[in-house]
Amino acid sequence: MAPSVRARRPASPPPGLPHTTPRFPPKEGHLDADERRAAASLGYGPSRRAGFAPGGFNITSGEWKLLVAIVVVASAVRLFRISKPDSVVFDEVHFGKFASRYIKTRYFVDVHPPLAKLLITLAAFVSGFNGHFDFKDIGKTYEDVPYVAMRMLPATLGIATVPLAYLTLRGLDCRATTALLASLLITFENGMITQSRHILLDSPLIFFTALTVFMWTGFCNEDKHQPFTDRWWTWLTLTGLSLGAVVSSKWVGLFTIATIGLGTIKQLWTLLGDMRISPKTWIKHFWARALCLIVVPILFYMAMFQIHFLILENSGEGDGFMSAEFQHTLGGHRMADTFADVAIGSTVTIRHVNTQGGYLHSHGHNYPGGSQQQQITLYPHQDENNDWRIINATQSGDPSVEWQSLKDLHYVTTDTRIKLRHIVTEKNLHSHDYRPPVSEVDFQNEVSAYGMPGFAGDMNDDWFVEIEQGDSRDHESSKRVRTLRTQFRLRHALTGCYLFSHKVKLPSWAFEQQEVTCNKNAVRANSLWFIETNAHPHLPANAPKVNYRRPGFLAKFWELQHVMWTTNAGLTDRHTYDSRPSSWPRLLRGINFWVKDHRQIYLIGNPMVWWLSTASVLAYTTIRGLLILRAQRGYRDFENTKVVKYDTLCGFLFVGWVLHYFPFFLMGRQLFLHHYFPALYFAILLLCSVFDFLTSTLRPRVRLQIAAVIAILAIWNFAIFSPLAYGNTWTKSKCHDAQWLKTWDFSW
Amino acid sequence: MITVGVLTALAFALRFYKINHPDQVVFDEVHFGKFASYYILREYYFDVHPPFAKLLFGLAGWFVGFDGHFSFENIGDSYTENHVPYVGMRALPAILGSLTIPIVYGIMKESGYGTVAAAFSAAIVLFDNAHVAQSRLILLDATLIFFMSLTIYSYVRFRKLRYTPFTLEWWSWLIATGVFMACTWGSKVNGILTVFAIGAAVLVDLWDLLDIRPVQNTMDNFYRHFAARAVGLIVVPFIVYLSFFWIHFAILVKSGPGDSFMSPQFQESLSGNEMLVNSHEVRYYDTVTLRHKDTKVFLHSHTERYPLRYDDGRISSQGQQVTGYGHADENNWWQVVPTKALPETGRGRIVRHNDIIQLLHVNTQTYLLTHDVASPLMPTNQEFTTWPRDDHSRYNDTLFYLYLNGAHEGEALRTKSGHLRLVHVPTKVSLWTHREQLPEWAFKQQEINGDKSPGEKPATWFVDEIIAAEDGEDFLNRTSAVVTNEPKPMNFFKKFAELQLLMMQHNAGLTASHPYASNPINWPFMLSGISFWTENADQKQIYFIGNIIGWWTCAVALSVYIGIIGGDLLARRRNETPVPEPVRNRLWNSTGFFVLVWFIHYFPFFLMNRQLFLHHYLPSHVASALVAGSVLQFLLSDSVNYPISVRGLYTHPKPRQYAEIGLRGPIVVAVFTALLFGAFMYLAPLTYGTPGLDGETVNAKRLLSSWTLHFAAKSTA
Repeated sequence: MAPSVRARRPASPPPGLPHTTPRFPPKEGHLDADERRAAASLGYGPSRRAGFAPGGFNITSGEWKLLVAIVVVASAVRLFRISKPDSVVFDEVHFGKFASRYIKTRYFVDVHPPLAKLLITLAAFVSGFNGHFDFKDIGKTYEDVPYVAMRMLPATLGIATVPLAYLTLRGLDCRATTALLASLLITFENGMITQSRHILLDSPLIFFTALTVFMWTGFCNEDKHQPFTDRWWTWLTLTGLSLGAVVSSKWVGLFTIATIGLGTIKQLWTLLGDMRISPKTWIKHFWARALCLIVVPILFYMAMFQIHFLILENSGEGDGFMSAEFQHTLGGHRMADTFADVAIGSTVTIRHVNTQGGYLHSHGHNYPGGSQQQQITLYPHQDENNDWRIINATQSGDPSVEWQSLKDLHYVTTDTRIKLRHIVTEKNLHSHDYRPPVSEVDFQNEVSAYGMPGFAGDMNDDWFVEIEQGDSRDHESSKRVRTLRTQFRLRHALTGCYLFSHKVKLPSWAFEQQEVTCNKNAVRANSLWFIETNAHPHLPANAPKVNYRRPGFLAKFWELQHVMWTTNAGLTDRHTYDSRPSSWPRLLRGINFWVKDHRQIYLIGNPMVWWLSTASVLAYTTIRGLLILRAQRGYRDFENTKVVKYDTLCGFLFVGWVLHYFPFFLMGRQLFLHHYFPALYFAILLLCSVFDFLTSTLRPRVRLQIAAVIAILAIWNFAIFSPLAYGNTWTKSKCHDAQWLKTWDFSW
Repeated sequence: MITVGVLTALAFALRFYKINHPDQVVFDEVHFGKFASYYILREYYFDVHPPFAKLLFGLAGWFVGFDGHFSFENIGDSYTENHVPYVGMRALPAILGSLTIPIVYGIMKESGYGTVAAAFSAAIVLFDNAHVAQSRLILLDATLIFFMSLTIYSYVRFRKLRYTPFTLEWWSWLIATGVFMACTWGSKVNGILTVFAIGAAVLVDLWDLLDIRPVQNTMDNFYRHFAARAVGLIVVPFIVYLSFFWIHFAILVKSGPGDSFMSPQFQESLSGNEMLVNSHEVRYYDTVTLRHKDTKVFLHSHTERYPLRYDDGRISSQGQQVTGYGHADENNWWQVVPTKALPETGRGRIVRHNDIIQLLHVNTQTYLLTHDVASPLMPTNQEFTTWPRDDHSRYNDTLFYLYLNGAHEGEALRTKSGHLRLVHVPTKVSLWTHREQLPEWAFKQQEINGDKSPGEKPATWFVDEIIAAEDGEDFLNRTSAVVTNEPKPMNFFKKFAELQLLMMQHNAGLTASHPYASNPINWPFMLSGISFWTENADQKQIYFIGNIIGWWTCAVALSVYIGIIGGDLLARRRNETPVPEPVRNRLWNSTGFFVLVWFIHYFPFFLMNRQLFLHHYLPSHVASALVAGSVLQFLLSDSVNYPISVRGLYTHPKPRQYAEIGLRGPIVVAVFTALLFGAFMYLAPLTYGTPGLDGETVNAKRLLSSWTLHFAAKSTA
């Protein structure tokens, strides 16, 4: 798993060998390749040289020039006509919109963590985007949007992936030819090109995945060289930071964490078996990794959310997902302090605890069925129709005015019998033996507003207050109802049911507000209410006031994680272009990104690269299986350094591929072809290391020729499908010819 | 010997105690009792479980003289009033459940654990309320567990003979393992997990046989071993499993409630089936009703039109609505119109496989049509509507291929028996429906639309009836040939394959939620049980729940085992050997095998989406009891009884050793058994359903707050 490319120096010579080890290792320069390998198996690895390059990346100056050339090519391929199309493409609808929300500082909720979106926003902000464009539909033409700058960000990261692939393979001890091949295959991978030319999150994700693998490779090389040096710590910390960046781009980054995690466990297991390492050193190894690969990414991830919260300080379309406390932290939702003491006669607004439905509400419309009395709903916005007056139900006389004559404040406590008077329509909160309009089940009763001006109301208007819990920092709030601090239930006096609400919308006749019922089997959480605002004419102006406690960063962070998780799990609708993971390695179908004026952008990979990479995965699995079988039959393949080298190398990449691919099978949500890209990156690297293995016995010139043939074939494939990546004009016949599989549904 | 005798006697006593109570249908006796009666009546039924255990119930019922007249319709139906010899039928699982105890004991002894550990494992199963409750009723689990433990026992015996391969005894235990495995699988679908567990163990075994090291191990030797296991553990079980179905089909020859699940060919093999009695050939210009096979709705149309704009803003064609309607109605009548020239009379007028047809809605005189307009509920599928008969402008859009499922070229379309798909000629979509209702504007009827790749099941329709022939001729007798009413035989293997497939599909389809269904993660800790039966008058109830001490001991034992193994691995990595080699072998190979059995009988449930119940854990619980015994042995003693395998010709003699347990072993087990027995007795009223309990007692017996017992006293709040 760990890319340990040289055989670790064994503790003692292998048992089968006679003890003829020379006392001084021979000088390397005099050895030919076979002898050098033999020397390596005895533990005189070339890594013990004095001049150990940082991270073990021994790049010659000629290669640096080559790298510059590759980057130029990659830039040309990815930036070609990046301003076309000048209209919204595919998920730019979302991610463009999020950028404009950031710039307008309006709160929104998305299923992805913020890093990649923040980067896009940064690009937009720097180039002067004012956020006044709504990215409403695919195909809408851009006006006054620096969309080229925004697209440049994913494009730049897409370009940067190319040299990373080169360096990673070099760090994994592959030949320059192999690394060159990998960078070319990635340069001309149509899917990655298409993905990185638009305002989408996958290009940052792939880049950070590649960056993590690169850093990890460097760290492993340092670790084999000498642990706990400054450089060792640097590589380790950088690995941790890039892990944080992957997971802050998309949650798919968790798979990268799993890959590195497995590699770390293998390293630790190897170290544990090395008897030269004392338990104390081992524990130091352990804590160093725990600190840099667990704590650092978590801190990074949380820091991203801190930035997210700092920017989005005003209320916006995402408010409805969040709790009342959270919403209170957003500008536009901040509430003035309100009186703390709730008494008979108070004018209050009552809010539901468990759902984000809002305030207990009534308005001048009646239920179309049931009792046909006035509707009671939950309404999320502030409105005078949310105002209720608490009235004592046990007093004789006209209770609706009687409270005014009371001299003292009569606080509301458990078992206070009250009526709730809707102030605007002068009706009382009422329940009776009718089934509610949507939840028509036996244990639910309808709740309505009933009465008329001057009518005191009947017994069905009476409710008992049951205080469920107060705030631990406000002792009074457990004994009597205090604004914002006390959660209480309302029990209907005659039927014993509880005022209840749940995430069920009423039909259009109630403006799709949330249903309120009286439930005899109420789940506790859904029958809890609290008072949000409170006023009483008898309260002096200097009476104690309260406000929401502002949630700290951690509370907000956890709440948002929870909301993201539930939203993500809820994305189960079918999409026209969604696909199941089993179809991805075979590239059975792409995604239609954009169609306009007989041009199309269609996400499809470079078929040769995809199929070859899949083939190399299969080849590795088969060969590895055979090797295991042979080992059981006594063949000593695993004592051959070449086998060991390529097995550790391919094994690491294979595990990366598996961990970035198979978990998708367990997901029930909508999945798309572009979820395969991180796995594809590993598969391409694996393909190149298989190439390195197969050509290891050939002369360099022949190797280069083979690589050139493969690269030219890949470029030819790229050329065929490039109109779909760039949205160029295309003839119908060429489009037909390019439809190699009948499951590729281009639109013509 | 005395120990095992006492344990067995106790097992019988506990499982037969008041077995006649309650004299009512309890829980799933509704199903399994009913199936027994179908065997006796020889009527075909369909169930997701293989037939072996149910055949045994049928046999038991027949043996004690049950005539099959009682249909086990509802939980709570009285047996005594209906004169059902239910005690005889319940005796079968009770006997098998009791015999499980000595087998568990035997497994432990044969695996080389001492009497103390073996008695410990057996006691955990013996005094377990869940096992007792399950064995006293007409349910399949007792049979399943009995054969599962027999399989494990045989495999352990087989393993012990590994140094004397290919002897008669070796072969006998191998084949016994195979046969019992087939019985386990044949009892209940989840018995297949036992097959997997043994399969996994055999793979490990074969892997070791592949190793070249011990002596110069030849490949030939490996192939012989491989072939022997393939025969004993694949071929033999499969034949046994097949034979269950052969008997099943041989008994059930009459038409019964299971008919409608099966294909037309299958149904025609049952005597008295509707397909034999009421199937007619359909001819052109017949007026017919088309019915959807899965949801049983008729293809329906009425004069109301689709609204121009749907709620989500999409736009329709405003054509006449085509819906699925559940009841007979004149608007379900469609006339089959040909697209080719027909002869005046004769068999040329018959509608055949692969014909292109039009369907004319009789009441509105419009043709069925579909086009590239999105359907009301699914933007990805095509809308169906109709088009006036006289307007030929869209003739092509009214053409449909008629495909008969599994038909040969030129086969005639028959009512009831011909399962068909209608595929639109220009756009290749199939007539398709799903259980989603259209809004008010279509009277909440079912949506019909065209799906490009619907899969076979939801696109299958059949002609329900011929309403009228073209010119009023008598369509029942127009064929001169005599209609044969004899059942048509069908190949056994085809029947078997069809039934297997259906069982699998229906098993996966059992996803409806059930109030007592539970999540697998709760099972080892027994967080919630199942209410089997209640009687309000005396406040009696049967609540399926295990012995809390036994189950939690097993859970603890499993974690202790994982701890030991983890510690051992770490220590070995640092070149230390805290556990002596024979003990370590025992821990890895024998206890490891039990843990494997536990794991394979438990973990796959996490991947299943179907309804899951606590009783699905019972096989795993037996395995965890075995683990508990072995862990106890490990904790009590530093050594093991060794060697226990039969010595072969070439094996080196090994120094014998015996586990020294001393006095504390029996004491620990005695104390523990007393505790187990106490907990068992405490929960016994919930297991036996007698005596009745008042509210306070029920509250006291509710050891975990998550148990949902009936008749609990209301808290005075």
